[in-house]
This record gives sequence, C-alpha cells and structure tokens, in this order.
Amino acid sequence: MADETQSTPLDMRAIAPHLLLPLAIIGVVVFFAALQPAMISGGNVVNIMKQSSLFFFVAAAQLVVIITRGFDLSVGANVSLVSVVSSMVMTSLLPGLGTGIGVFAGVCTGLAIGAALGAINGALVAYARINPFIVTLATMSIFTGIATTVSGGFPIFNLPEGFSFALNQMKILALPIPLVIAGAVAWALHFMLTRTVHGRVLYVLGDSNEVAHVGGRRVREHLFFAYVTSGILAAIAGLLMTAQTGSGEPNLGTSLVLSSIAAAVIGGASLRGGTGTISAPIYGALLITCLSIGMNLQQINGSLQPVVIGAILIFGAALDAYRTRGR
Amino acid sequence: MTAQTIRNTARRNPILASIGILPIVLIVTCGLLALYEPRFLRSSNLINVLRNASFLSIISAGQMLVIIVGGFDISVGAIVALTSVSSALSIVWLADLGIGSTAVIVALGCLLGLIPGILVGLANGFFVSVMKISPFMVTIGTMTMAAGIAGYVTGGTPIYDLPELFTREIGRGSLFRLPYIVYAAALVLCLLWYMQTQTRLGRYFYAVGGNEKAARLSGLNTRKYIWAAYVLSALLAGIVGLFLTARVGSGEATLGSNLMLESISVAVIGGVALKGGVGRIPMVALSALFLSVLSNGMSLIRIDSKYHIIIIGIVIVIAVAAESYRESRRAGHG
Repeated sequence: MADETQSTPLDMRAIAPHLLLPLAIIGVVVFFAALQPAMISGGNVVNIMKQSSLFFFVAAAQLVVIITRGFDLSVGANVSLVSVVSSMVMTSLLPGLGTGIGVFAGVCTGLAIGAALGAINGALVAYARINPFIVTLATMSIFTGIATTVSGGFPIFNLPEGFSFALNQMKILALPIPLVIAGAVAWALHFMLTRTVHGRVLYVLGDSNEVAHVGGRRVREHLFFAYVTSGILAAIAGLLMTAQTGSGEPNLGTSLVLSSIAAAVIGGASLRGGTGTISAPIYGALLITCLSIGMNLQQINGSLQPVVIGAILIFGAALDAYRTRGR
Repeated sequence: MTAQTIRNTARRNPILASIGILPIVLIVTCGLLALYEPRFLRSSNLINVLRNASFLSIISAGQMLVIIVGGFDISVGAIVALTSVSSALSIVWLADLGIGSTAVIVALGCLLGLIPGILVGLANGFFVSVMKISPFMVTIGTMTMAAGIAGYVTGGTPIYDLPELFTREIGRGSLFRLPYIVYAAALVLCLLWYMQTQTRLGRYFYAVGGNEKAARLSGLNTRKYIWAAYVLSALLAGIVGLFLTARVGSGEATLGSNLMLESISVAVIGGVALKGGVGRIPMVALSALFLSVLSNGMSLIRIDSKYHIIIIGIVIVIAVAAESYRESRRAGHG
C-alpha cells in the first residue's frame, strides 16, 4: 500500500506540499497586480528581487539553527550591530586608505562581527547547554544595547558610494547584485546541508540529540558551528541592508526577528527540528516580501501590516503542526 | 572540591537548599547600593522600587503559570498595550454616552478594557492546546497582531481626557503611603500562591507541565489547564495594563513594550524551569524585586539607560547558566 503511493509519479499528496508555496506566491503577485498594475512593472520586480534577497539571508540564518531545534532571536540585533560597526570602520578608514581598502575592511569587519556574535550564541547553547531561546533573548538585548551604545543612537552617514554601488546597485548580467550573492549563498548552503557531514549532523541533531551522540559525532562542535553560520548569514544581511539604506542604523534589524522566523517556518522548516531545506527561506522570503510590497502599493496602514504578518505566522505554524502531527 | 562543599552545605542547611541563592544576592545588592548611594534608602525611592516590582511581579506571575504548563507567553507586553488602548477608549466612550457617575464609567471602562486582552489569551490557549501549535509561534503571532491593532486604533497618538478619578485615584492614589498597585500585587500573589500550594487546580498545573502525557493518561483534561494558564496570564497582563494606563494618564499603544522581555527574565531568574513543571510564586516575587532594585540602582548611580539592557541580558545568562550547571550536577550524581 505504502509502496504503491510512493511509486505513483503524479501522486498529488506527495507533490502538493511542494507546489503550495510557489502557487501561493504567484497568487499573491497576481492578486496585487490585479488591484494595482504597478506591482508587475519592471522597477517593482527588481525591487521585489532585491528585497527578498536581503530578507533571504536572515531567513536562512534562522533556518540553520531551526534545523537543530534551536532559535536565533538575536539575528535582528546582529544585523543592527554589523550595520553600525562596519559603517564606522568604513567612515573612519576612508580618508586615509581610500575607498577600496575602506570598503573591504568594513565588509571583513562586518563578517567577523557576525561570526563572533554567532560564536557567543553557539558557545552558550552548545557548551554551556542553555536553552537557545533564553540565550538568544539575552544576547539580543546585549547586542542591541551595544549597537545603540557604540553609535550613540544616531545613524552613521557618509558611507562611501562605492560600498552602496558594490553591494546594492551593481548589476551582473542584468541581475541585481544582492540576488547574485543570495543565489551563490543559497547554493553553498544547499551543498552544506545536503552533501556534507556537518549538514547531515545538523538534521540528526534536530531529530534527536541522543542519536547524534550515539552516532559518535562531536555534536557540540556541530551545534556551535550552526550558530556561527547563522551569525555570518545575519552579518551578510546587515551589510547588504546597510548598502541599501546608505547609512549605518542602530535599529536596522529590530523588526527582522519575527519576520525571519515567520519566513523560515512558512517556507517549511519545522520548529520541532530536523526538517527544512534551502527552499524554505527562499519561498518564505519571496512570499513575505511580495505581501508587504503589495500592501505598501495598496497603501494599507503601516500598523495593520504586522497584523497580516502575524496571522500568516500563526497559519504557517498551524500548517507545520498539521504536517508533523504524525511524527 | 568546591562544588562538593557547596553540595554538603546545602545538605546540612535545608533553608539554603530550599530558598536558593537569590535572597542572598538580593540582600547583598541592596546593601551595596545603600552603602554606595544613600539615596537608595529614601522612602520615596523605596516606594518607587516597590511600585515597579509590583507591576513586574503581577505580569511575571502570569508568565510563570504559562511556563509551568510548558509554554511561553510572548504576547504579554502587547496585551498591556492593547488593554491600555481599549480601556482608555471605552472610558472615553462611556463618558460620551452621558453616564452621570464617574465611578461607574471607570469601573465599566476597566472591565470592558480587559476584554480584548482576554480574547488574546483565549486565542493563545486555543492555538496552543487544541491546535497543538508551538506556543512560541502562537504568542509571537498574537503579539504582532495585538500590537498592530493597538497602533492602528490609536493612529500613533495617545488617548487623553481620562477622568481624574481614574488617573489620580487609581494611578497615583495610596494607602498608608503605599500605592494601590502594591496591594493589588500582594493580593494577586497571595491568591496565586494559595492556588498553587493549596488547591487541586494548582497541582494540576504542575502535573500538566511536568509530564503532559502522564497527566493526560491519568485522566486530566490537559487542554483545559493549558488553556486556563494562557487566559490567566492574559488577564494578569491586562490588569497591569489598567494600572499602567492610570499611572501614565493616557491610553498608549507603546505601553509595556519591554515587559515581555522583563517578565521572562524574572521568571527565569526566579528559577522557573523552561521545560515546565517547576516554579514558585515567592521566588518569582523575589526575582521581580531583584530586577527592580537592579534597574533602580543602575539609574541611581547614573549608568546610562543604554547599558541597562546589556546588564540585564548578562544577568539572565548568568542565572540560566547557574541553573543548568546545577541541573547537570544533579543529573550527573543522581
């Protein structure tokens, strides 16, 4: 019986989950395009591509730790801190060393900070064995505090134009640069999750801690590096968003925590751990970006937009609960 | 060696074993503050600390109930904001209806104002207990929705023109020099303590959180208790919202934005285990007092408010690390 259902090539029950999200995304785009043709204008499509690429990174940062049955509430604070510090490095190095070196140093500092913040989370979760929710809740407030302290609470202006050109406006083969970077990172993550031992261990960790232990892998190291990866991904998001805004903002990532989790979960990562592929953050980011851009075009009140996102979040989680009920 | 000594001391000294290290930390903090900054001991300052601790302990008690049944309530802060807006709106609305007695307006307005918050609690409980969705996701979703609705209804401007009776009497009134909220907190904490230690309902909450499957198999309607915990938490958050609105003097959609983080911190520092089934009211009250003393002290010795969240974050990490260390030693030496 079970074999029969598996062998049927066009079994709707097997395919439906994979089609649901693309269809939902297309549905959202068509819906808003019908109301407002500007939705599918060339400029707006580029905008959607850029926004969802930026958003993809935070959702992917969330995915890597959700797979291990964890959480990262500090992604938003990470984005803010990276934005502020890398901007400060760039503006201070610029006069002496020129644009090229200044931007390069800023980007490297940003990535290093992301990795360091991820390492702090990872050390507390993997080695001190504290609940990831509490760890990242605490580090969220610590990192946010540092970001506001370092910047004094003010945006950092006068970023080199080369920076925002290189990480936001440049186009490669007519594709905006954030999309190109997102594509490369998505491919690398997919490779890591499916083809390497590290990736497989992460899934096993999410399924069952004991199994991973019995399997003889150095579980703590893998868990630690999952948080480091998450930190680096959040840092990339921070850099790209800074390039888009054109200034270092101490509250750049505040709203990202919720929506990053929402994107990962709607895309199909389960909070019970052990599942979720690279398609989760891609679909999730696209869906939420299309929705919010569409709502902006319709001039829906800014305070009502979170209500819609919140409803989608609960819907996504309900879907997740339904999917995993049998497990 | 040292850990062994501590264990032995704890075994010899049952009082230390049962109350833990928190009271000592609290007394030391107070002592240091009193020595370093005499203004801490002024009665006006102490009343201020008590008032903050009262707000915090009521909302954290609700958080504790939810954590005991194995959940989380991230929406408490948003419920405070929602209640603030809804109670202010209903008071203004009732006043426009032309009801003569201000006391009736305020009483009815407060009751009506609690309704949206309780609805959020009911929704939380429904999604968590019946639909079996992760409490984290549910309450983060209802949090955004509640905050969004509160922001939309007010349009970003506070709601003024609340009657004097509400703002002056409830918000700033006092009895024997202590503000009303302190009595309210004492009453709430005593009731909850009685429920938890003396009634069957209280035991059931622990049973559900300790081992839901076992509780269900032994005939408890676990859904009912999980649901009840979320509704109680929302109700307590609503009460805090009412008092805060009266204190501020206007209905504000941004009220209580940091209460979510603080209530979870209080619960965690107070030894409420995140895996459920563990948590006591006296410890939560002490922990609320500790956090209030800490932030009051930081303001008194002029630590910039930007550092406050950093320090509180560090305190949480230390508290939880200590807890998990104790846990692992207990497990290791079984």
